[in-house]
Amino acid sequence: MKAVFITYNEAHGEAVMEALEKCFVRGFTMWEQVQGRGTKEGEPHLGSHAWPTMNSAMVTFVDDEAAKRLKERLKEIDALKPKLGLRVFSWTVDED
Amino acid sequence: MSLFSSAVKKPITTALIFVAIAIFGLFSFITLPIDLFPHIESNSIMVMTSYAGASASDIENNISKPLENTLNSVSYLKHISSQSRENVSVVTLEFQYGRDIETATNDVRDKLEMVKSYLPDGAGNPVIFKFGSDDIPILILSVTAKESMPGLYKIMDETIVNELARVNGVGSVSVSGIPKREIMVLCDPYKLDAYNLTIEAIASLIGSENRNIPAGTIELGSNAYAMRVQKEFNSSSEIEDLVVGSYNGGNVYLKDVARVVDGLQERSQESFINGKLGGMVIIQKQTGENSVQIVRKVKEELPKLQKKLPSDVKVNVIIDTTDNIIRTMGSLEKTIFITLLIVMVVVFIFLGRWRATIIILITIPISLLASLIYLYATGNTLNMISMSSLSIAIGMVVDAAIVVLENITTHIDRGSNPKQAAVYATNEVAMAVVASSLTTLAVFLPMTLVSGLAGIMFRQLGWMVSIVITVSTLCALALTPMMCSTMMRAQNKDKDSKWFKILFTPINKFLDKLSAGYARLLDWAMRHKRIVVLIAALVLIGVLAICAPNLKSEFIPQSDNGRISVTVQLPVGTRQEITRDLALELDRRWREEFPEIERLGLSEGTADSDNMFASMRSNGSHIISMNISVGSMEKRKRSIQEISNIMMAELAEYNQIKRFNVVAGGQQGGMGGQTVCQIDLYGYEFTATDEAAAQVSQMFKDLGVKQTVISRDDYIPEYQVDLDREKLALYGLNTATVSTFLRNRINGAIASEYRESGDEYDIRVRYAPEYRQSLQDVENITVYNNQGQAIRLRELGTIVEAMTPPTIQRKDRERYVSVTAPLPDGMATSDMNEAISAKIEEAGLPAGVSWKIGGTYDDQVQTFQSLGLLMVLIVILVFIVMAAQFESLTYPFVIMFAVPFAFVGILIGLVITGTPLSIMGMVGAVMTIGIVVNNGIVLVDYANLNRERGMGIIRAVVDSGKSRLRPVLMTTLTTVLGMLPLALGRGEGSEVWRGMGMTVAWGLSVSTLVTLVFVPVLYTIFAAFGLGRRRRKSRKLAKAK
Repeated sequence: MKAVFITYNEAHGEAVMEALEKCFVRGFTMWEQVQGRGTKEGEPHLGSHAWPTMNSAMVTFVDDEAAKRLKERLKEIDALKPKLGLRVFSWTVDED
Repeated sequence: MSLFSSAVKKPITTALIFVAIAIFGLFSFITLPIDLFPHIESNSIMVMTSYAGASASDIENNISKPLENTLNSVSYLKHISSQSRENVSVVTLEFQYGRDIETATNDVRDKLEMVKSYLPDGAGNPVIFKFGSDDIPILILSVTAKESMPGLYKIMDETIVNELARVNGVGSVSVSGIPKREIMVLCDPYKLDAYNLTIEAIASLIGSENRNIPAGTIELGSNAYAMRVQKEFNSSSEIEDLVVGSYNGGNVYLKDVARVVDGLQERSQESFINGKLGGMVIIQKQTGENSVQIVRKVKEELPKLQKKLPSDVKVNVIIDTTDNIIRTMGSLEKTIFITLLIVMVVVFIFLGRWRATIIILITIPISLLASLIYLYATGNTLNMISMSSLSIAIGMVVDAAIVVLENITTHIDRGSNPKQAAVYATNEVAMAVVASSLTTLAVFLPMTLVSGLAGIMFRQLGWMVSIVITVSTLCALALTPMMCSTMMRAQNKDKDSKWFKILFTPINKFLDKLSAGYARLLDWAMRHKRIVVLIAALVLIGVLAICAPNLKSEFIPQSDNGRISVTVQLPVGTRQEITRDLALELDRRWREEFPEIERLGLSEGTADSDNMFASMRSNGSHIISMNISVGSMEKRKRSIQEISNIMMAELAEYNQIKRFNVVAGGQQGGMGGQTVCQIDLYGYEFTATDEAAAQVSQMFKDLGVKQTVISRDDYIPEYQVDLDREKLALYGLNTATVSTFLRNRINGAIASEYRESGDEYDIRVRYAPEYRQSLQDVENITVYNNQGQAIRLRELGTIVEAMTPPTIQRKDRERYVSVTAPLPDGMATSDMNEAISAKIEEAGLPAGVSWKIGGTYDDQVQTFQSLGLLMVLIVILVFIVMAAQFESLTYPFVIMFAVPFAFVGILIGLVITGTPLSIMGMVGAVMTIGIVVNNGIVLVDYANLNRERGMGIIRAVVDSGKSRLRPVLMTTLTTVLGMLPLALGRGEGSEVWRGMGMTVAWGLSVSTLVTLVFVPVLYTIFAAFGLGRRRRKSRKLAKAK
C-alpha cells in the first residue's frame, strides 16, 4: 500500500483527474488551492501579485501496482507541459 | 464562483447574453431618432406687456423698469434684458442652462402676479412667451407659378398647407410672400366730396348690404317655411352697382365715385426663388418632435401634392435644416467605420493571429451597441455628441480585452489547456483590468455632473463612454476568456502558413528591434538620471513658455452647414420697387459669381400680420432678407466663411445700403453658429452710447472686420399729424375721430368680408393710390363733423416731419447697446477679444459709458471654468484610484508626471496647427488625463512585479519596459490612431470635434513618448529613495541592538 502525494499547477487539474480514472483509482483527498514552490527550480505558485498562479495538492492511497502506473502516467503529463509543474511523491503506509 | 469561470463553464449562456445585448443595441440603433445635438431646452422666457400710446421712454419707466426690478429676484436668473419701444415692452429673462424652464415659468408667473397692480392702469396684462429652438422652421419650401399666380394663395392654402399640417409632428405651416386676394374699393376723393360721401359711409353701406339675414319662419297651410333675406354679394362686380347715395334726384352708384378691383393685396412681402417670383411655405415642428423624421415624412408627401397642383406651380425645398444633420451623421458614421478599420489593423499587426484579432474586435460592436440601448432607454437621440463619443470609445474598448487575451496566450503557450488558461489567466489580470477601467471611469463619470452649457453637451458623452468602458470591461472578463477557451490553441510556429511568415517576419523583427533599442535607451537613462530629469524639466518649461502665450481660445468652432443668411437694410422708407430692384440685382450678381449657390431665396417688403414667422423677423419695404444654400462642403472649394466675406465686401460697395448683415451658417453664436465678438456698451444717455457704439464699430473695422451690427436702430423718420386741440374743439371734433378718418383713407377700412366657395376675402375701402401720394393729398383729406361740415385736415393741424426714438434696450437693468462683429478669417475669439479690449482701453469711451464683452463670452468663461474645475477633480479621482490599486502614494505620484507632458503635447499640437482651444478641446484635454496614466500604470505595475520576484530596481525597470513595450504601444496606438479620423476629418460638422481628436492624439502621443523614459527614471529615483530609507532604518535598529 502506497500513499501518493501529488502537487501540481491547478491548470493540470483535469489531466490529473483523468489519470486517476485511467488507473482505476477511486479514492483521493484533494486541496484545490495550495501555495507552493519547487525545491530546485520553477516558478513559485503563491497566488500573490508577483506569482499569481496556485497549485492543487492531492493524496491518494493505492496498492503498489496502481501507484506505479499512476506515477508513470503523471510523469508523462508533466513531461508534456514542463513549465506548469507537477510533482509526485509516494511512501509506504500501513493499512489497518 | 467568479464571473470568468462561470463564463468559461457556460459558453452558450455567455455567448447568448452578449448576442442579446447586441440585438437590443441593433434594435435601438434602428429606432433611435437622429438629431444634431442632444435636446437643449430653451433657457429664456419673454414677458410682453402692451401699453397703448406710451412712448419708448414711458414704457421703459413705467413698465420695463418695475417688471425688471421684480423679476430680477427669480432664482437661477443669468441675465435680464428688456426692449422698450412704442406701445410695447418686452422683458427677456435668460436662465442658467439646465434650469427647468417649467419651474422658471411658474416663478415668473408668481412674480408677475405681484407686480401687476403696480403697472399703469392702461397697461395690458403681461403675457409670457417661451421661444426655443423648436420654434425655428425646420423646412422652407418655395412655390413658383406663372399663370396661377393670382390664385396661388388659395391653391397653397387648400392643398399644401392643409395637407402638410396633417403630417404627424408638424406644428404649423404658414405661407409667406404670396399676396392674398382682396376686394379693393378705391375711391376718388374729389368725387366723394362732390357727392358729399365719405369712406366711412361707403364702408358701412357695403357692410350693411353684404348680408344674409334669417327672418324667422312662416306657416303656410300645413307647412312651416323659413324666411330669409339673401343679399350677400355673389360676385365682386355686384359691389360696383351699389347705390351709395342720391344727388339731384338721381342715384349715385359706387362705380361713380370709386373703382372696385378684385385683386391682390396692395403692399406685401414678395419672395423670389433663384430670381423667380414665388412664395414660401414655412414649416415648423411641434415641440419635442424629431425634425429628421418630420422632414422625411413631409418630403414623402411632396410628390403626391405636386400632382394635385396646376402644372405651372412648382414646389421646391429652399431650406432643409435636416440636410446638415443627415450629412453630419453620415460623415460621423464614416469616421466610426474608419476608426474601426484602423483599430483592426493595429490589433492584427501586433497579435499576428486572426482568431485573437476576432476575439478582441468583437468587444467593439457589443460595447458600442450596449451604449445605444442607454440612449434608447433614456429617450435620447443619436446625435453629434453621442456619435463622436462612440468614435472616441472605439480605441479604448479594446484595451481591457487585449490585456486579458495577452495573458491567456502566455498561459496557453506555457502549456495550459485553453479552458483552464482562460480562467486562471483572467484571474491574474482581473484586478489590473478593473483598475485601469476605473481610472477611465474616473474621468468620464464626473463629466456627467458638470453644470451649465457644457453639462448639457457632455453629460451624454460622459454616460456613453462610461457605459462603453463598463461593458467592454465586462466583455474582457467574460466574453474574451470564454472565446479564448473555445477558439485559441497553442501556437505552433512551424505550422504557420507561408504568406503569414512573409507578412509577419519583418513586423516581428521590427518590433523586436524596437524593444531592444528601447531597452538600451532605458539602460542609458538609468545611468544618467540627472540629465533625463533636466531635459524633461527644460522641455516642460520651454514648451509652456513658448507655446502658452500663443494659444488661442474660442467657444464652439463654427461649422460649415452650407447656409448663409443675408439681411440688407436700405434707408427707412425706401419704396418697395427700389428695394426689389436692388434685391434682384444682388440675386443675379451672386448667382453668377458664386456657382456654389444651389438656391437663393429672397424676400422683401412688409410681412402680413397673420404670418407669424415672417412678422417675427424684421421686415419692411426697405429690408431684403436672403437665404442662400450652397450645398455640402465636400462638393465645393470655398467655405461659407469665405463666400460670406466676399459678399460683405461687395455689399459695402453699394452706397444706398445703410446696413447689412451676412451671417455664415444662418445663425450667430450657440452651437456651431457664426462666431462673433460682441461688445456691450452700458450708459443712460443715448447720445453718449451712440457715439461709443460708432467708435467701437470703427475700431472693429480697423481690426479688419468687414461688417458690424449695432443693436440700436437709428431714429426713424416719420410724419406726424399735429392736431390743434382748439381748432378741433371749434369744429366739434376730437383727436380720435380725426385719426380714424385719416387711417380709413390711407390704410383703408375693412367694410365687410366677401364670401366665395367657403373662403372669406376682405373688402377694403380706401383712397385710390394716386390720391395718397403726396403730403398735399394728406392735407386735403376731408373730415366731417357731426353737423356734416366738411373740414380739410390742413385746417385742423399741421403735418410735421419727426423722428421716432429707437427702441430702448436694457440689459441687467441698465440701458445698453451692443456692437456685434463676425470674426475675420484666421482670427480666434480670444485674439479678437484681446485686440478690441486693448483698443477700447487705449482710446477710452465717452463719459458715462461702460463696456463689457458680451455675447457667448459669458458662457465661454463659465464653461472653461467648470471644465477647469472638473480637471482638478478628475486628477484627484484618478490619483485616488491608482493609490488604491498600488496601496501606495509614491507610485501614483510618479505616474501622474505623465499628465503635465500630455498638456505639453496638447500645447504643441494646438500651436503648431494653429487650432484655437475650444470647449471640445478642453474636454479632449480632460479625457487625456485618464488615458495617459494607463501606460504608467502598466509599466510601474510590472516593475513592481519584477521587484517582488526578486529583481534589482534597475533590472526590474528595464525588463518591465522591454516586456511591456508591445502592449503599451498597442493600446496607445489604438487610441491615438482611433482619434485620427476625428482629428483629421474633413466631413460635415467635423470642425466641432476636430479639437477633441487633436488634443487627445497630440497629448497622448507626446506623453507616451515621455512616459516611456521619464516615468521609469522617476520610478528608480523614488524606489531607490525608499530602499535607502528602509536600509537606514534597519541599520539604526541593528545599532540599537
